[in-house]
Amino acid sequence: MTSTEKFTEELTGIQSADIEAALDPAETDGIYRDSRECAALALFKGGYGLLLSPPTPRPKKG
Amino acid sequence: MEQSGTSSLLQDAVQELASGVVSALRSGDHARAAAPAAADGGAKDLTLAAVRVLGADALLPSTLLRVPPLPDELARFRQAVEAYPPGAGAAPTVAWSHWAMRRTLRRLDPGRADGPDEEPDATWLEGATWPVLTHQLAVLAALALPDEDCAVARAAAQRPVDVARGFVRAVRRRDWRQAAGAGRWLTLLEGVPRTLGLENGLDFVELMGGQDPLVALQVRAARLTRAGAFV
Repeated sequence: MTSTEKFTEELTGIQSADIEAALDPAETDGIYRDSRECAALALFKGGYGLLLSPPTPRPKKG
Repeated sequence: MEQSGTSSLLQDAVQELASGVVSALRSGDHARAAAPAAADGGAKDLTLAAVRVLGADALLPSTLLRVPPLPDELARFRQAVEAYPPGAGAAPTVAWSHWAMRRTLRRLDPGRADGPDEEPDATWLEGATWPVLTHQLAVLAALALPDEDCAVARAAAQRPVDVARGFVRAVRRRDWRQAAGAGRWLTLLEGVPRTLGLENGLDFVELMGGQDPLVALQVRAARLTRAGAFV
């Protein structure tokens, strides 16, 4: 057994699968703001109006 | 999705490590970054795993600020690289993250370089839609370094408008980690539309998501890159 294998064997608490999952995360679900919240934020931080505009409507499924 | 206890512990450890990196980037004191108090047993395992997940960014203060890492810090980083190589069939981001760590070791500890510097396959980015490209680049934001020449960086350089679109999409979705990672890439790219308002965008991402150390780390890295900390 190589020193690396021995070392890895000692790492019993964390599995490689846990690490690989953390390194290859799925995209998180988006949280879209509604228009009222956008307006409030835009008033609060007027310089960010472009980014705070409501998202383009997404096509409906089906 | 419900997280396992191990996964949750790991995420907490990564956040704690990232928080140390952010502090080090702000203060220039790298001693607080990847070298937490000496640990053994399970705590050591967790620390190593956290270093592996944070990847090359665990030594970002040394890389960006050009401050030599502490010996313990470097040793722990190397242990994480050796303990967690990509498995067979690992996702590209896993392979590239490991490559980035090895590249960091070559930079910071050239006397102990080992093995070839062969890049992992990058064809998965070819033809990727702009949302997918942005997501993958954000996951690999540790590669967004000045003077970094690798296939992932070249793929990003070829599509600045797509990354800009992805940045805006991430902000609108409130995916602050993705937005911060994309923003970090954008600070390096030529041809980013000026109408994007990247500076304001990064401010906004920090305002909204900066309490997350992983977001704060990317924003801080972007600012240091933009300010020419490397020069």
